[in-house]
Amino acid sequence: MPMAYVQFDASFCTGCAKCVRACPTKAIRIRGERAVLIEHLCIGCGECIRVCPEGAVISAISSGQFVKSEKFSVAIISPILYSQFPGVMPCDVLLGLNHIGFDHAIDLSYYLEMHQYAAEEFIVRNRETGENPWPLISPICPVICRLIALKYPDLLDHILPLKRPVALIGEGVRSQIAREFVVAKEDVQLYHLTPCASKMISAGIDVFADSPCMDAILGINDIYPQLSAAVEQIKNMELCFYPCQRITFLPNARAPMWGMSGGEIAGMNVERVLAVDGLQEVIQYIEKIDMGLFKDMEYIELRACSEGCLGGSFTAVDKYIARSSAQKLIKMFGVGRRIQRGKLRRIYDQGWFHSSIEPEEMFKNFLGGEPPLTIGQMQQIEEILEKVPGKDCGICGAPDCRTFAEDVVRGRAELRDCYWFQLDKN
Amino acid sequence: MSALKKSFYIKGRDFTHAGKASITVQQMLKQLGIATDIVRRAAVCGYEGEMNVVMHGGDGSFCIAIASDWILLEISDNGPGIADIGQAMEKGFSTALDEYREMGFGAGMGLSNIERNADYMEIESTPGKGTRVEMLFQIPEA
Repeated sequence: MPMAYVQFDASFCTGCAKCVRACPTKAIRIRGERAVLIEHLCIGCGECIRVCPEGAVISAISSGQFVKSEKFSVAIISPILYSQFPGVMPCDVLLGLNHIGFDHAIDLSYYLEMHQYAAEEFIVRNRETGENPWPLISPICPVICRLIALKYPDLLDHILPLKRPVALIGEGVRSQIAREFVVAKEDVQLYHLTPCASKMISAGIDVFADSPCMDAILGINDIYPQLSAAVEQIKNMELCFYPCQRITFLPNARAPMWGMSGGEIAGMNVERVLAVDGLQEVIQYIEKIDMGLFKDMEYIELRACSEGCLGGSFTAVDKYIARSSAQKLIKMFGVGRRIQRGKLRRIYDQGWFHSSIEPEEMFKNFLGGEPPLTIGQMQQIEEILEKVPGKDCGICGAPDCRTFAEDVVRGRAELRDCYWFQLDKN
Repeated sequence: MSALKKSFYIKGRDFTHAGKASITVQQMLKQLGIATDIVRRAAVCGYEGEMNVVMHGGDGSFCIAIASDWILLEISDNGPGIADIGQAMEKGFSTALDEYREMGFGAGMGLSNIERNADYMEIESTPGKGTRVEMLFQIPEA
């Protein structure tokens, strides 16, 4: 049984129902003036965290602050991090991490570039084999994968069956670092610094169990207060250089690009590509793909957060400011590639990039979604909809009248919970 | 058991809301646990039919009836009608305006797509009065 992605702190929750309306899978209800989660409908998108005015929604595993331990701490950096410090060079941000106690850093943009290469390779081969249907959907956003698994399972074979970039960091990295810095393997502590509320979930309950070997996951907003103080100091120093031996894969000029919507497909050697961000619009696109449209597209980058990962719920600065700062960096350094293809093709052929998870496995994690309704039940829903006002007022605790009617039929609510129905009767 | 019936109004030339009826119907069919292949075929037919009304039609209606072993879709409009149904069924034959083609519609595949995806279809049309398309999908016993 999967653990819930989010929890509601009843002592903070006022029952305002903002989260009920924001939830894309209609997984939240108000019961007894407090929000409750229908766990098997939650895809961990973090919309509720974003809209809650009281801070009552907690991501299931929030590591909170970074506390330097005895262990050899390694930061696995989402390239979003650099855009959180407008006007600061990426190397100064890295130095800041060093100052607050990280012994080493690994920049994810190298893995993102490898992933992009593998995606291109897959697309080119798929043109020949026709093994997977067009359009292929990017596997990078975990929320999108879960959304498809829960609500559009017949589209699962559209998801590019390659490991996500963060999953490419295998246990090998830990041994490599242990060797290089002469520390015991058990003493290497990997911290994933991420803007993504969804990745704050440990491997155990994720649909992509082949992902992380991370020991802890830190939201960028969690370390921001510490880090920005350190960065501020560094900015005012005159000359300082980041010790190169302290990082595997320096961020290159392209790094700030990855977190932007459209960043994954930018520079891809595939022409029929498309990027869509923000859950509402993404859902419209998925519905159309489900309808058999967009077959002329080869690859679609879908991101649950608007503006892409820059808009993640664990970022520290506003997404538009972050975008502007990322654009400045790109303008300064341009975009380029750095990985040699010949070497990558060899490991591609060895199957190194391929995901070990079958798409159907993902669906199982959701217990197959909701059990199907009978025609009789569907008729009951339509009948209930005749009796209630249809104004989606939400007083009953459901997001809209249709969901309320479904709840009644499924035994999760009673018709008298509708204020207007009750008023009419009295 | 009697069939579940539902109908929608389709507004001609309204591209913003075009496709709403077929998406709603698709969701209903999914909730009923109908096999994905049938849901997809019905949704594709519904969508093509709905787009035909939006592109050529005046206003129209989209009606669906669902029973345990069949789905019936009926889409009718008071638009210009079809002069030669045989010709309209041909792949690539289209009378859509150029501006719609630029939006990616009007490739002349609509009716032939419906014919391919529905288990049974019937078209009735009177030029100047309107068109009615009926589609039937069978649900084999599980």
